[in-house]
Amino acid sequence: MTISKYFKISALLVVIGAAGCTKLNETYKSTVPADQAAAALGPAGVGLLLQSAYNDLPGIFVGQDQLFSLEENSTDESLVPTRGGDWDDNGVWRVIHNHTWNADHGQVLSVYNGLNKLNFDATNVLAFAPNKEQAAEARFLRALSLYYILDLYNQFPFRNPGDTLLNAPKVYKGPAAIQFIIDELEALLPDLGAANGSTAANPAAAKLLLMKCYLNRGAFNNRAAPTFDDADMQKVITLGQQIMASNYSYESKYFHNFNNVNGSSKELVFAYPATENSSTNNPGMQARWMMTFHYNEYTAQAPNAGWNGFSTTSDFYKTFGAAGVMNYTPNDTILDTRLGGRRLSDSLTTAMSGIKPGFLVGQQYDAAGNPLKDRKGAPLAFDPVIQPTMIETGSNLEVTGIRVAKYVPDFSTTYGGANYSSNVGNWLVIMRYPNAVLMLAEAMMRQASPNNAGALALVNTLRTARGAAPLASMTLADPTNVDTYGTLLGERGRELYFESERRTDLIRFGVYLTTWQYKPTDDPKYLVYPIPNQALAVNPNLTQNPGY
Amino acid sequence: MKRLLKRISVLFLCVSFTQLAFSQTRVITGTITDDKGAPVQGASVAVKGAKGGTTTDATGAFSLTVGANAHSLVVSSVGFNQQEIGIPVDNKVAITLVSSAQSLNDVVVIGYGTTKRKDVTGSLTTVTSKEFNQGVITSPDQLLSNKVSGLEVTSNSGQPGAATTIRIRGNSSVRGVGNPLYVVDGVILDGRDARPSLNLGVGGFGQTPEDNPLLFIDPNSIQDITILKDASSTAIYGSRGANGVIVITTKTGSSGAIRMDASASVGFNVGYMKKYDILPFGTYVNALSKYNSAGRADTLNQGAHVDPLEDITQSNPIQNYDVALSGGNENGKFRASFLASTTPGFIQNNKLNKYIGTFSGNYKFLDKRLTVAFGLITGNVTNNDVLASNTAGSAGNLISSALQWNPTKAYYNANGSFANETNGTPNPLAMLKGYNDVSNVQTTLGNISAAFKILPNLEYKFLYSINQSNGTRNTNIDGFIAGIPPITGNGVGIIETAALTSQVIDNTLQYNTTFGQDLHFTALAGFEYWKTNYSGFGVAKQGFNFNQNELSLLNAQYTDIIQNGQTYVTNPTSGSDITTEIQSEFARVDFNYKDKLYLTGTMRIDGSSKFGVNNKYGYFPSVGAKWNIANESFMKDNTLINGLALRGTWGITGSQDFPPGASIDQFAFGAYNSASQVNAGNPDLKWEQTMQYDFGLDFAILNNRLSGTFDYYNKDKTNILFQNVAIQPGPAAFYWINLPGHLVNKGIEVSISATIVQHKDFQWDLTANFATNSNLITNFYAPGTKNPLAIYTGQINGQGVSGTLGQVITNNQPVDEFWLKHFEGFDQKGNQIVSANPTFAGNPNPSQLFGVSTTLRYKKLSLVLNGGGSSGFLIYNNTATSVTNIAGIANGRNIDMNAYKSAEQPSSGVAASDRFLENGAYFKLRNASLTYSFGNIGNYIKNLNVFVAGSNLFVITGFSGFDPEVNIDKSNGGYPSSSIEYIPYPTPRSVLAGVSFSL
Repeated sequence: MTISKYFKISALLVVIGAAGCTKLNETYKSTVPADQAAAALGPAGVGLLLQSAYNDLPGIFVGQDQLFSLEENSTDESLVPTRGGDWDDNGVWRVIHNHTWNADHGQVLSVYNGLNKLNFDATNVLAFAPNKEQAAEARFLRALSLYYILDLYNQFPFRNPGDTLLNAPKVYKGPAAIQFIIDELEALLPDLGAANGSTAANPAAAKLLLMKCYLNRGAFNNRAAPTFDDADMQKVITLGQQIMASNYSYESKYFHNFNNVNGSSKELVFAYPATENSSTNNPGMQARWMMTFHYNEYTAQAPNAGWNGFSTTSDFYKTFGAAGVMNYTPNDTILDTRLGGRRLSDSLTTAMSGIKPGFLVGQQYDAAGNPLKDRKGAPLAFDPVIQPTMIETGSNLEVTGIRVAKYVPDFSTTYGGANYSSNVGNWLVIMRYPNAVLMLAEAMMRQASPNNAGALALVNTLRTARGAAPLASMTLADPTNVDTYGTLLGERGRELYFESERRTDLIRFGVYLTTWQYKPTDDPKYLVYPIPNQALAVNPNLTQNPGY
Repeated sequence: MKRLLKRISVLFLCVSFTQLAFSQTRVITGTITDDKGAPVQGASVAVKGAKGGTTTDATGAFSLTVGANAHSLVVSSVGFNQQEIGIPVDNKVAITLVSSAQSLNDVVVIGYGTTKRKDVTGSLTTVTSKEFNQGVITSPDQLLSNKVSGLEVTSNSGQPGAATTIRIRGNSSVRGVGNPLYVVDGVILDGRDARPSLNLGVGGFGQTPEDNPLLFIDPNSIQDITILKDASSTAIYGSRGANGVIVITTKTGSSGAIRMDASASVGFNVGYMKKYDILPFGTYVNALSKYNSAGRADTLNQGAHVDPLEDITQSNPIQNYDVALSGGNENGKFRASFLASTTPGFIQNNKLNKYIGTFSGNYKFLDKRLTVAFGLITGNVTNNDVLASNTAGSAGNLISSALQWNPTKAYYNANGSFANETNGTPNPLAMLKGYNDVSNVQTTLGNISAAFKILPNLEYKFLYSINQSNGTRNTNIDGFIAGIPPITGNGVGIIETAALTSQVIDNTLQYNTTFGQDLHFTALAGFEYWKTNYSGFGVAKQGFNFNQNELSLLNAQYTDIIQNGQTYVTNPTSGSDITTEIQSEFARVDFNYKDKLYLTGTMRIDGSSKFGVNNKYGYFPSVGAKWNIANESFMKDNTLINGLALRGTWGITGSQDFPPGASIDQFAFGAYNSASQVNAGNPDLKWEQTMQYDFGLDFAILNNRLSGTFDYYNKDKTNILFQNVAIQPGPAAFYWINLPGHLVNKGIEVSISATIVQHKDFQWDLTANFATNSNLITNFYAPGTKNPLAIYTGQINGQGVSGTLGQVITNNQPVDEFWLKHFEGFDQKGNQIVSANPTFAGNPNPSQLFGVSTTLRYKKLSLVLNGGGSSGFLIYNNTATSVTNIAGIANGRNIDMNAYKSAEQPSSGVAASDRFLENGAYFKLRNASLTYSFGNIGNYIKNLNVFVAGSNLFVITGFSGFDPEVNIDKSNGGYPSSSIEYIPYPTPRSVLAGVSFSL
């Protein structure tokens, strides 16, 4: 064999090899590479990206184990007892209510990631040449996520549009953090579409969020001892009055805010829509009643009507009546309609179920008025007494705890009530008008020269709308007891219970570290949640909150 | 003995010298049979010391013209000990070959070629067809269980066709499944199949188990399977060799008369290999009284007597029919086969049907300089599944219903409708009747190759292959099943399709030469291009108008009339993976000096479209050396040792097991008119690197009757491809990086084969293997920091433990170390007490693996037993935690015997803790088969065998669940889990009887 032959063979091999050579570029089908995205998505692309940011909202706000848990289960309004085989879930619920959580808690991580996804998706809109209004909406959504990250974690990471995602982003902490959010909101407010309804960022929503920022600034900067700057309070008052002057009013029926047609409520400031009987646009609000209902609550679904979990404390329940009685009856006229339950006699309860929204205590009935039974055959009568350990071991363990159904079960008859556990019509309520009024009243009481009478008048107007007797007098809060009747904090609880406001309120009113039912002790470190260990490990700019 | 032979051969030499003068030739004829009397086809027969020779035909017959001076023949065949026999005066021989797993002259498959076992420097094990496990076999990997040291084959469940977890030399993956690379007849498979995976988005059932991607390969058509273990063997596969390589070679035709092989078998599942330890009927009734008030117990005792675990099973016959035609001459050979099989599962309505055709040919042209070969495998596999999901929540699944069902409750009401419980447990028979999940996958694997001998010692080969797999899956859950909202009263119909296409083009050039007399040199160079596409579509609807009442059912399924569904469960989805391309150049050189010293070097360069733009190409070198001591002159005179060799290898292999597109920022379209960035691209992504070294010793003594292999291996994986926690704010929770940590697997492997008795009428062979493995993650820090990463995985499912993760992947621990709260006993009220915080709780990865096979033959009757197991690991019993816990007895559900025997009371909370960690050690008698070889009957029927085989005959274990060989997929966020049992499809004991013969 000659050298030339070897050469020919080698050449052959090279030719064959070269013929097969490719540049190894990936062929995209379902996705678009970033460098082509702007061109590929076209002029409508910004709208698509903005919609993605809106679509992050249900993931954060709907699930009972997401933001709702961190903001509500950590307070006197909500807890999840372990009932025999149910809801231990490795103790995740108890440690939130007990204030004994740590930096590995799964909910602490998933809320952090969920809020930051909104933070990212909103920021990303700004990298795609949005028009003025789109930019304002995106910045609003980003501000909303930053507000909650700051509220829960005491600091927030921030990327500018187009920043490299492999680098650790800058982190805002301390006074600069809340100032940044306020500046953003003030800046974007003029650009928001005035005609936007409650399902898009709108001026009232931005103003309400700004009110929250100004009102809580002193608390965010020092949660152990909140202070209230008069200039901030004046801002709250001005913004509150602007909202009151716009097109909102109280619904005559409180639960119209939470039923399957709540999209038409005149109190909705910011919400995420649902289309009844359609999965294509549905945040799945049924979790909010299934999480609390007993298995046998709804005979058509028994024994799977609910998950027999979330309850409230009897002390919180008692704040609805001056006397603090335990067994309110349908004839208790001193009570307001926000209590719901058996007292409620309007069309919100369909003939199909017998379940009424609000607080469920005592014997439960089916649609025909027959008493229901639990799985052991005992009366399905909710007992307000929960074991201090939050682990039920008694013979009545299935029925302990007062249940709270803020959202009205959707028993719409078109599909025979079959949508009860899926594709319901209830919109997710994120901001509601009365919150603006109550913040306005609070600022009036906290300003340098308090206007207590003005605040009381605002509160009593609201109470009247809810069918409750006016208060004769009102203080901000009882520093030793979170569940005192005649306080503004109490009124906020009665109006906004289970709307993810309570933890922030308790901190701002300086009573978060007091004890309440089933939370015997506390430590100042629980004023904020820890930075999740996973997040801390990858971003050296984050600092773990003190004590964790 | 050897000395004697030497003298005899000297004597022969003298004789032959004298005979040489006459230059006579003669024709030797004979037949070669195996130890069962079956003819051995393709055995090579040659005159000792001479080149050339012949091979036996399908009847084991040969005819060889030899020179007059030939005095003895050497007969060899894959899987048998080489044998020498003197040529008798009548020139007729009948030779019985003794099987051996490790014959030194066996041809073994290595990457892109073959070699002789004696020339192999690396660590690899070949299992030939006659060593394969027998019994109910549905996929090729089951043929290998317990046969290979260091190979862990775990059937994830007892369902026919279920996916298996295959690990070579330990758990080396902190992502995905970590399965080895499969190579079939030289074609690299994608590793997936086109059966759509199913996550029932409604009803809380979770993800259903995956099937086995090798179902389209007919186990009867496999010639042998080679497991490449060390780096020297696997590095030729470069960026895909890190988890080891399994090379499957299918049977080919051989020259000789056209032959037909046929076999048929029928079998049955005859019962549980091991039952889950729930309360038997009598104990259950006592337990009702023990834990409930008298009145309550009376209510819960509903008077009937049923046994749900038995009532969900079936015993429909398993049937396999296989026909193969083969034949050819020295210029062309073909083989065609067809398999039809139905394997009903142990649970009613569950069935795996397979129709597989194979056709292969091999033709020589141009004076045999050109060889054109083709192979075509086409398989049609249909699964009828039952509702046995991996991550069921409180709704449970079929198995949990059967475990929990009140044994005093009849299944049916008087009018024939299903009786329903009020305790949250759906009726298991309703779940059987109302669930219909049929998937069909059609797979074609075709390849054509042309090899041209440019020179006698220089061959060029071209190969093109395409693997096309199309799958559909129709899943129906009827609305009449009570107790599973929102399906109850609605029904669900899901239609999914998927398609997978992968293609390979290979060009290789092989050259061999001899320098001087003693140094043999072989070189291989090649170029390969590989490309794969995967796409899928799915639609799921609910709200149907029919099949809401079991007493008036339509024959139609929801998926037959999907338009009737009123709402979508989710939007219809379709997607297509980014096409992945790999192009590679590779080379191998082998030196062999006097059969004493061997040196092998390989190099592969892989370019992959998946890698980041900054690292498109990866380089994978390896070297291996062997010193064959037995061939040294100082060993010549020893009579004890027949073989002795020392091996050492080193090399680097890679992995690119991450999603395509991970290196580039991507935007995707979502539902509700949205689009968003979906990942954080990492342009620096590169191949993962596994550096492995291996030291081995091979020996054979006592006339090759005792042989064995020892290996020590150390695999160090670094630049770990890892789905890291995204630095928020980001588009997803994770992004892909190379982590500078290490994942080290090391251990020893031993395999021993012995012919204990070797007698004409009676033979007893025993092979055993044993392996140890230790598994540790080190330097597992977040990038650029010294903060240890802790990734939680291992979903613990069920009511009361939602969201619990029971395993952790973290620094200085084995992969998937259990991370659980400590069980501290019961308080005075019988409530379990668990510690506040979880701690490291034990290792789920087996520390020891062992297998043993023995063959006993008496005349024409042979008995083969094969068993094995593993030890040194823990199993988490998630079933006991949340399905059969004691709380159930208060609501009339059946409970776990361990709980009943404890001081626990029904008020005790549910908690995941180390209480449910159980020692997983087990030994399983996997197969036993008894075969009678009739040999040839009359003039036409040849090689008639009848056999009866049993599978999973017994298991010895302390584990309380169905089967300690379990690995339910409880991965979390893409991080794999290990060794968690949760309401698995139970493993049956089965028997199979069959007949095979040739014409």
